[in-house]
Amino acid sequence: MISRHLYHYWLQFKESGWIFANELKRIFRDPGVVVIFIVATLAYPLIYKALYWNEQITNVPVAVVDMSQTQESRAFLHRWNAAPDIKLCYSCASMAEAEQLLRDQKVHGIIYFPRDFSKQLADPLGQAHISLYCDMSSFLYMKAIYLSCNKVMLESMQNIQIDRYEKMGIDKEFAWALVQDAPYSETALFTPTGGYGSFLIPAVLVLILHQTLFFGICMLGGTAREENKELYRIPGRRRGISVLRIVLGRAGAYFVLYYALAAILLGFFPRLFDIPHIGAIEDILRLNVPYILATIFFSMCISVFIRNRESGLVLLISSSLIFLFMAGISWPKEMIPEAWRYVAALIPYTWGSHGFIHINSMGASLWTTRTEYIALWIQTGAYFVLACVLLYLSGWLSERKKA
Amino acid sequence: MLLRELKQMFARPLYLFASVGVMVLSTFFFMTLMKGGAAEQMPVAVVDMDQTTISRRLIHEMQATPSVDIILTTNSYPEAREAMQQGLLYGILVIPEGFYDDLVSFKRPQMDFYVTNAYTVGGNTAYKQFLTMVNLTSGAFQREVLRKKGMTDDVIMHRIQPLAIDAHMIANPWSNYSVYLVSTILPGILGLICLMLTIFAIGFELKTKTSHDWLRAAGGNYTVAMIGKLIPYTLIYLILGIGCQLILYRFAGFPVYGSYGRLFMGLLLFIFAMESLGILMIGLLPTLRDALSIGALYSMLGFSLSGFTYPQMSMLAPVKALSYLEPLRHYYLIYVNEALMGAPVQNSLPSAFALVAFMIASLLVAPRLHRALIYQNYPSK
Repeated sequence: MISRHLYHYWLQFKESGWIFANELKRIFRDPGVVVIFIVATLAYPLIYKALYWNEQITNVPVAVVDMSQTQESRAFLHRWNAAPDIKLCYSCASMAEAEQLLRDQKVHGIIYFPRDFSKQLADPLGQAHISLYCDMSSFLYMKAIYLSCNKVMLESMQNIQIDRYEKMGIDKEFAWALVQDAPYSETALFTPTGGYGSFLIPAVLVLILHQTLFFGICMLGGTAREENKELYRIPGRRRGISVLRIVLGRAGAYFVLYYALAAILLGFFPRLFDIPHIGAIEDILRLNVPYILATIFFSMCISVFIRNRESGLVLLISSSLIFLFMAGISWPKEMIPEAWRYVAALIPYTWGSHGFIHINSMGASLWTTRTEYIALWIQTGAYFVLACVLLYLSGWLSERKKA
Repeated sequence: MLLRELKQMFARPLYLFASVGVMVLSTFFFMTLMKGGAAEQMPVAVVDMDQTTISRRLIHEMQATPSVDIILTTNSYPEAREAMQQGLLYGILVIPEGFYDDLVSFKRPQMDFYVTNAYTVGGNTAYKQFLTMVNLTSGAFQREVLRKKGMTDDVIMHRIQPLAIDAHMIANPWSNYSVYLVSTILPGILGLICLMLTIFAIGFELKTKTSHDWLRAAGGNYTVAMIGKLIPYTLIYLILGIGCQLILYRFAGFPVYGSYGRLFMGLLLFIFAMESLGILMIGLLPTLRDALSIGALYSMLGFSLSGFTYPQMSMLAPVKALSYLEPLRHYYLIYVNEALMGAPVQNSLPSAFALVAFMIASLLVAPRLHRALIYQNYPSK
């Protein structure tokens, strides 16, 4: 009696194993899928690393219009020249000349000292102004120019303040104490030297896994449709029973392949290429389990609707940008309308990317990032059930069509 | 010829859905994504170990600013740090113990602030606000001391703030992230659709071996066949392009300092360049699935290579060279010239010529593609 049961389970297991092996064969016999699954997955991270190689935006060319032409304004310029972010390239006699340079994109910003700059500084009641004009064609220009100018201004200001206090008859020591009454220290946490690449590449790595898996599974589903393969049935088996084994068998094949790829991309790639990696690798490997599973079942659900190999490819591609932004990484999630955040919660990438960034880039433990970890397991369960139901329904539909 | 194409187009509604649907969805998505386009109310924490009136006033004043939202006030830094690791907040301001006492006795107590750079927009916003607050606190204290010395507020103010920077954000005075991002992303998605659908429209004839029928409809003439095939699609792209530009620059009121006409001409050239690139790809790789895969990988890189987020000047030399192979880079340059800078037409001409060069490039594969249409001599899978 017991042995009959065991034999029954063994048969089921063998069938799943057959599906598993068969799916791996299908993957490796399809050059299009191999390109997406393996070549793109391994090449894209390298391309993005090369693209964002220089982390910091340095030497943004800036024009100077110094109408005051005094020792004070030159002292400022001297400090600015030492700032790594910007480079004072042109000294212009008029604003019109500087604007021309900006229009021709020879510079990305203008620093303007008004004629009365020194006079206002010298006047104990005056307030001197410096005008900045920032090219907004990339926010990073603005950031480089604005922040470096702000820094120079704050540094110079103390000297001016002390000067003024002294003129008021406050002794120098007291003036110093007054000006530096509350100093501060600033720390960029987690990746002190990190720039644009450090911030974006982790999010992109997670996206590459998500989207290549998504494309590949949809492509395989589409091909099966075109070739009239009955993906919802094991030959010689009743439809309902075999759906579960098919979903598990196929998912197993993707999982084996992608778990390895995820370990390379999220585990080793950051360590090899000097991308932030302050998290524990075992936590990343543990987070990858539900992330890859949720993505597989999510993609299997969508692939049921893909009628042939090419259809929807455009939709799938533009989804990359939408998923990236919807997750709330480059644009903060707090500033995304609630409706989109609900949609985002359905996408495995949203949880996977935040989870990975928390562990990898901010050194969180798996326990600290449990919200994302649990959400991914919930998605895994929900999309697994949904994938079974959808596959069963699509089988039922196509059999009814045939009848 | 045209009739055949239109019939095909409507027989497979996927064509229409893919182009119109994706564009409408993306436009809707990106136009509704960024609530106003400026980062506000970014969650931060204050670790208040001082717990005096002055630290509470600081917290109160910071809470009143629009850019940050103090969601956590605690006296434990590890707690705040863990909240940051959970992605709940972007910055932590630490007010040390005895801050008030040290301040009044001129012991120069130090405030520390920590911001995350794993999320840059949130981190930057928190950073700027913290910097302002720290300086304001220092200013407020100086004012208190000077008042006690019997000075009037008016006199004091200029001593505390002898210098100011007025920042002018050219063509985007609100530093609106949406204006900046959407202006290049949406045309980029349109270009991606042009590229993929061109590959698809031609490749599908090859895949289903209907290219003879297609050529026959065109009287055996390759040029007529190509033009006839692409005209209906091009019309759709143009309508989508016009719609997109109208939404951005009329409806949403994104600034255009130069000429609308030239900006639109730029988009037109960009559409043609992407179609041409599609012909080039299916001409080189006449197997539909291969060409589509390459097309997808290529056009996705365009978004980064165009240089609208991470500037081209900071890219490595070979990457920089590669960026010129992306039509989106050239459209972006025209956009900067026309919309943001109001530059004279000659500034945009090099980019326009580059886009024309892409159009000419597709002629290179004409003989090869023509042969493929006739002999159908390519792997069918």
